[in-house]
Amino acid sequence: MKQQDIKTEEKFMSHNAWFSIFMGVTLLIISGYPILNHTSVPLLFLGSAAFLGSFFMFVIRGGFTWKLSYRLTYKDEYLNTIDTIAYKHVVLALLFSMGTIYLCSDSLALQVSHSMMATFYLAVMSLVYGISILWQSRD
Amino acid sequence: MQNHIAEFRKAARLSQQELADAINVSRKTISTVETSRFTPSVIIALKIALHFNTSVESLFILDEHD
Repeated sequence: MKQQDIKTEEKFMSHNAWFSIFMGVTLLIISGYPILNHTSVPLLFLGSAAFLGSFFMFVIRGGFTWKLSYRLTYKDEYLNTIDTIAYKHVVLALLFSMGTIYLCSDSLALQVSHSMMATFYLAVMSLVYGISILWQSRD
Repeated sequence: MQNHIAEFRKAARLSQQELADAINVSRKTISTVETSRFTPSVIIALKIALHFNTSVESLFILDEHD
C-alpha cells in the first residue's frame, strides 16, 4: 500500500468522524425537537436539508468513497483498530440507550412515533462513532 | 509495554511523519506507539527495528503488567 493511500485514509477518517458528529446532532434535533414541541414537519425538512448538505460537502465533494474503492476496513493498522473500537462503543451506546428507552417506554409511547425513535437511535450511533474516533485519534 | 522509539527517532533527526512515511504507516500509529497507547503488530515492530538498524528487543521492553 502506498503512503498516499494511508494519508487519504487518515484524512477520510477525520472527515468521517466530523461528518458522523454533524449527522448525529442533526438527527438528534430532528428526533428530539418534536418530542418537546409535538410538531415535526418543518424541522424534518430543515434537518433533511442540513443532512444532505453535509453529505454532499464531506463525501461526494471529497470523492473519498472512490479513492478508497468502497472498502469496509482501513489498511492502516492503527486506523483499523480505532475504527473497530468505535463500533464497539456504538453497540454499547445503542444497548444503553435502548435499555433506557425500554425502562421509560410507557411514558413515551403515546407521544413519540416509531420513526422518531429510529431517528433517535441513529443519532446516538452517529454521535458516539464520531466522538469515539476523535477521542481515540488524539495525539 | 514501554519502548524507545522516540529516542531512536530523535537521534536520527526524524519527525513522526517522516518515520511514518518511511515504514508506510500513518503518523497516528507512530504517535500512539511512542506514547504506549497502542501496541503495534510484529510487522510494524520489525519495520521500525529494520529502519533504525537495530533489534526489536532494544526498541520494546516488557513491563510487569505484560
